[in-house]
Amino acid sequence: MDLTIVWESMPRLLGGTVLTLEITFLSLLAGLCLAVPVAVARLSYRRILWMPAYGYMLYFRGTPLLVQLFLVYYGSGQFQPLLDQAGVWFLFREAYFCALLTLTLNTAAYTAEILRGAISAVPRGEIEAARSLGMSGLLLYRRIILPKAFRLALPAYTNEAIFLLQATSLVSIITLLDLTGVARIIVARSFEPYKLYITVALIYLAITYLVAFAARHAERHLSAHLRERPVEGVAGASGR
Amino acid sequence: MTPDVGPREAALRVTNLHKAFGSLDVLRGISLAAHEHDVIAVMGASGSGKSTLLRCINLLDIPDAGEVHVGGELIHMCFDRRGQRTAADPRQVDRIRTRLGMVFQRFNLWSHMTVLQNIIEAPIRVLGVPRRRAIEQADQLLRKVGLYDKRDDFPAYLSGGQEQRAAIARALAMEPEVLLLDEPTSALDPELVGEVLKVIDDLAAEGRTMLIVTHEIGFARAVSSRTIFLHQGMVNEQGPSRQVLDEPRSERFRRFLSGGNWGRAALTTPSQTGGNE
Ligand SMILES: Nc1ncnc2c1ncn2[C@@H]1O[C@H](COP(=O)(O)OP(=O)(O)OP(=O)(O)O)[C@@H](O)[C@H]1O
Ligand SMILES: [Mg+2]
Repeated sequence: MDLTIVWESMPRLLGGTVLTLEITFLSLLAGLCLAVPVAVARLSYRRILWMPAYGYMLYFRGTPLLVQLFLVYYGSGQFQPLLDQAGVWFLFREAYFCALLTLTLNTAAYTAEILRGAISAVPRGEIEAARSLGMSGLLLYRRIILPKAFRLALPAYTNEAIFLLQATSLVSIITLLDLTGVARIIVARSFEPYKLYITVALIYLAITYLVAFAARHAERHLSAHLRERPVEGVAGASGR
Repeated sequence: MTPDVGPREAALRVTNLHKAFGSLDVLRGISLAAHEHDVIAVMGASGSGKSTLLRCINLLDIPDAGEVHVGGELIHMCFDRRGQRTAADPRQVDRIRTRLGMVFQRFNLWSHMTVLQNIIEAPIRVLGVPRRRAIEQADQLLRKVGLYDKRDDFPAYLSGGQEQRAAIARALAMEPEVLLLDEPTSALDPELVGEVLKVIDDLAAEGRTMLIVTHEIGFARAVSSRTIFLHQGMVNEQGPSRQVLDEPRSERFRRFLSGGNWGRAALTTPSQTGGNE
């Protein structure tokens, strides 16, 4: 089989890979920062906190990412005067910014849902112990609830990160030259879709594998406290 | 407004406490006072509201009516917009809680922190004790409860008895005026009960003010100055422990005491099993 076209395209494909990684990483990071307050608000008893969080999560989890992307990228044009006034139109003109914004809002909604479940799963007794020692509010969240919730959320969050990586391929539709976007252009000129797309697929696969591998390591590290002490010598400690 | 804090003011005073869960009246007017150095044993059948009583004292459950004074300071309550009774000043509650140590049946250590981290967490974050000072104090407590060599282990590495001793050390680190202990040994294997009772015994000998929910009759007789028996949400009998435990007046209490299965380790004092160090 003649793989010349693959070799020749490789530098450009790797260039696209860099953009894919960049978009994935930045939206994951921003998404996580946004997801924490959203999840906390979602769990609040106060209606003015949980209702907006609920609506936000419902919308971004209940509509296709592609539609959200179109809405922000094409839809923002209709609000140009308004956005201009706010001084942010120059941002919405950029496909890159629209992609980042949409992906961030989308992953934040899913991550908030994951965190909501994890926070609810933090043992009540441990929270009560903290309260009984005078901890409350932000301190309680920061020191006890969130550290425990993050650990519980890690497996599901890894899935979300992998999903987002794949989902970034949609940004090629709004003209960005990510890995998929670059491949589409090369294919359009070379008429070799099979070889190129299989290469692209393998690159996504390799990244996914690396992410899953790193996540497994992180998980082992973070859950050290849940495993029993490794048995020392012959007679192990009398663990429970 | 400001209660006079006379020298005779009780360390803990509970007045006419009521609590219902839905239609279930769990507490129906409980009053008690613990003076400094008092050790009060709280007994009662399962479901009689012993845990609820302790939880209402530090507001983990909100009592429907009644007052709680800690060291003469009344915990202020009010009604929110929906008509729910609630603490008037959440910061007062946090402050009061630092003065009431709570030890739970199931330990409730923070599993993501080592024993030492569990103990220094609240003193540093809540009381603002400098880290170095908190660690010194924690090490002292760990020696006292016989866990110094476990200080850097996670709770999952410990036995139940060790976990409970760590939990006691965590409560003590706040230097509370009153310790509330909710069946501190009933989640433990029988052979681990002694080491925890020994620690509590030592605390009583130090003159700590304690309210202990316990089924260990022998322990209550040996350690507590007074015993309170709850039945159907009310104080059914109370008095000096030796007196009421040896000669219960109420028929209920007599039947409870002869109930047998709670009497495990009943007639032994807790000193035969020391800590492991
Ligand atoms: N949060 C709650 N919601 C509803 N009912 C509750 C709640 N907490 C306790 N109860 C009920 O209140 C009653 C008293 O419970 P409590 O835990 O205080 O009993 P206890 O005397 O501590 O019993 P045990 O010896 O089994 O620990 C029980 O019938 C229990 O089912
Ligand atoms: Mg109980």
